[in-house]
Amino acid sequence: MQSYLKRFKKIVFTTLFAIGAFNTSVSADTLSIGVLLPSPIADVGWSNELVKGFNGIKEKYGDDVTLNIVENIQEGPDADRIMNKMVGDGNKFILLGSFGYMNSGLKLAQRNPDVSFIHASGYKVADNFSPFTAKYYEGSFLMGMAAADLTKTKKLGVVGAYAIPELISTINGFALGARSVDPEITVDIIWLNSWFDPAKAQASAKALIANGADILFSNSQDTPSVVTVGEEAGAYVFNLNGSMGEYAPTKYLGVVKTDWGPFFSASVDAHLNGSFVGRNEWLGVDADVVVTEEWNPDISAEMMAKIKAVEADITSGARHVYDGPLFNQDGEQVVAAGERLDDGGILGIDWHVQGINTPLPK
Amino acid sequence: MLLQFERRDTPSKTLVFATPFIAIAITIILSSIMLLIQGKSLLTTFFSFFIEPFESTYAISEVFLKFGPLLFIAQALAIGFRAKVWNIGAEGQMIMGAILASSVPVYFTDSDSVFLLPAMILLGAFGGLVWAAIPAFLRTRYNANEILVTLMLTSVALQILYYLLLGPWKDPMGFNFPQTVMFQDAALFPPIIFGFRLNYSLIIPIIFTIFVWIYMEKHFGGFKLTVGGLAPHAATYAGYSSNGAVWKSLLIAGMAAGIAGMSEVAGPIGQLQRSVTSGYGYSAIIVAYLGALHPIGIVFAAFFLSVIHIGGDYALVTADLPISSVHIFQGLLLVSYLASFTLVNYQFKPRKARIVEIESSLT
Repeated sequence: MQSYLKRFKKIVFTTLFAIGAFNTSVSADTLSIGVLLPSPIADVGWSNELVKGFNGIKEKYGDDVTLNIVENIQEGPDADRIMNKMVGDGNKFILLGSFGYMNSGLKLAQRNPDVSFIHASGYKVADNFSPFTAKYYEGSFLMGMAAADLTKTKKLGVVGAYAIPELISTINGFALGARSVDPEITVDIIWLNSWFDPAKAQASAKALIANGADILFSNSQDTPSVVTVGEEAGAYVFNLNGSMGEYAPTKYLGVVKTDWGPFFSASVDAHLNGSFVGRNEWLGVDADVVVTEEWNPDISAEMMAKIKAVEADITSGARHVYDGPLFNQDGEQVVAAGERLDDGGILGIDWHVQGINTPLPK
Repeated sequence: MLLQFERRDTPSKTLVFATPFIAIAITIILSSIMLLIQGKSLLTTFFSFFIEPFESTYAISEVFLKFGPLLFIAQALAIGFRAKVWNIGAEGQMIMGAILASSVPVYFTDSDSVFLLPAMILLGAFGGLVWAAIPAFLRTRYNANEILVTLMLTSVALQILYYLLLGPWKDPMGFNFPQTVMFQDAALFPPIIFGFRLNYSLIIPIIFTIFVWIYMEKHFGGFKLTVGGLAPHAATYAGYSSNGAVWKSLLIAGMAAGIAGMSEVAGPIGQLQRSVTSGYGYSAIIVAYLGALHPIGIVFAAFFLSVIHIGGDYALVTADLPISSVHIFQGLLLVSYLASFTLVNYQFKPRKARIVEIESSLT
C-alpha cells in the first residue's frame, strides 16, 4: 500500500507542475513550426537538408520562431498521431518530410484550415497544403554529361529508392545528359524500395560495379553507403540533396544539391502575412533550389565549359532536359523533334528513355 | 559461488500484486538517469508519457485505437502460451489477414455493398488462420519447432505483401508508390466519434476477451488445452489430445491476428501499404506476459502498454525526446517487470546436488 500512495502522490505532483509549466510555454506572438522527418537528421542526407532549409528563417526571426523537429518516423498510422499532436500543440506551420505522410497530412490540413502545410514529394494539393519537389533532373542531366566525359566502360549504374516519377525523371535526365555526349552509353538501375537501407545500398553498388559500371549515381539514399563503395572501388559517384564529398575524397563526381532555404523562407513569410496558398511547388535550377557543385577536377576543362553552357541555357529556359526527340526503352518515339514533354508528363512519368537497360518495375 | 533459481513455495500475495508498480517505479528511476544525461526535462517527459494520453478526447480515442489490436492478439496468444505453444509469428498472421481482407476493396473498388466489411472480416480471419495452420501442421506432423516456423513465416508474409504492393495491387493512380488504392467508405469500419480514427472494430476484441475468459476460466475445454500443452503424456493418458492443443492455440491466434490486421487496413490506415502492423504482433507478446497470461490481467496490460505507446509518440513532440529513447523507456519497463516478476516467484539459492529432477510447473 505504501508504494501505492507514493505513486499517487507522484502523479498529482507531476500533473500540477506540468500544467503550470505548460501554460507559459506557448505565446501568441511566436510561430511554432513542426517538422516531421522519415529518417535520422544525422550529418548528411535528405532530412539533414530539410532542417538546414530553416536556417534562414531562424536567422530572420530569431526567438520568435521555434522549430519542433521529430525525426526517424516511419510512414504509417503512428506518423498520423504525431502530426496530429504537432497541430494540437500549437504548431501553425508544418513540414511533412516524406511522400508517405500525404494522405494523413491532407486530412489533417482539411480539419485545420489555419495551419499551413508543405509536403515533400507528393501530388495532392489543398488550400493550405502545398506539395513541393525539386527538378532534380536538371542537375542529373549535367552530371550525366560529366559521367560521359569520365566513363571508360560506357556503363553507368544507379541505386534508386522507389520507382516513383520524381526518381524516374531524375534517372532519365542522367541518361539523357550522358547520351547527349556519347550515345553508346547505357544505364543500369537497382531499385531498393527504401529511402534508407545502408546494407542493401552497399551491396547494390558493388553489384553494379561488378557488372561493369564505372560511374555510380546514389539516387535519394539517405546514407553515404553508395558513395563510400564508389571511392573504394574506384568508380566516380554522385548523389542528390547534400554533399557527401567527404566520403569520397578522390572519386566524388559532384552533388546535385537542393537548397530549400529560399522556398521555405517564402512559405513561412506567406503564412505569417496570411497569403499562403496551397499549390504544386516544383522548383529547379532557375529558382536556385537545385544547385550542382563540387565538380571533380578530373572532368576535362572542355567538358566543364560545355556543362556550364548547358546549365546557363537550362536556367534561362532556352533549353529543356525533356526537349524532343525522345525515345523510350523500346526505341519508340515519345516526344517528336521540336516538341517538349509537358510538366504533367514529367511529374507523372512512367517510362524510361532509350539507353536505360533495366525495365521499369510494373 | 554458484546460484540457482528456486521457485518459492508461497510467493507473497502483496508482492505479486505490487509487481507492476515496482516495475514502473524502477523504470522511472532508470529512465530518469537516462533523461538527466540527455539533459531532458523529467517532468515534461513523464507528463507526456502518463498524462498527455488522457488530456483530450482525441488522445483517449488514440489510446483505445491502439488498445483494440493489442488486446485481441495478446488474448489469443496467451491461450497458446498457457499451453506452451509459442506462436511468435502473430505479426505474419496479421499481415496475411490484412492482405486477404484487402483483396475485396482492391478488386471491387466501386462496390458499396453492406457485405463488403463482413466479407473482409471473414477473409482476414481466414488469412491469419491459414498462416497459423502451416506451423500447426508442421509441428503436429513433423514435430517442427513452431517458434522458428511462425517467426520465419512472418518474413514470407512480408515479402508477399511487398510483391503485391509493387506489382498486381499497386494503385494505378498512385505514381508507382507501393500502396493500394484508398478503400471506399463501405470497406472501412465506421468511426465511433466522427473525425477520430477510433472505430467500431474495437467491439470484436472486447467480445473475444469475454469469450476467452469464460472458456479458460469456466470451461473444461480450456483446462484440457492447458494440460495438453503442459504435460503431453499426462494429457494423452487422460484422453486429451496434445496435438489438439497445438492446433487450437495456433488457429485461434492466427484468426485473431488476421482480424486485427484486417481492422488496421479497414480502420486507421484505409489502404494496404508496406507498414500495416505497427509491430502489434510482437508487442502483443509483451502484453500477454505483462498480463500474466490471465484474461483480465491482459486487459489491464494492453491498456497500460497503449498508454505508454501513445505517451511515447507524444514525448517525441512535447518532450523533444528522440525515438530511440522512447524505445529504451518501453524496453526498460518490460525488463524491470520481468525481473520483478521472476524475483517475486523465485529465489536465489546456492546450488545443491540435484537428486530429483522436478518438472517445473507453469508460472
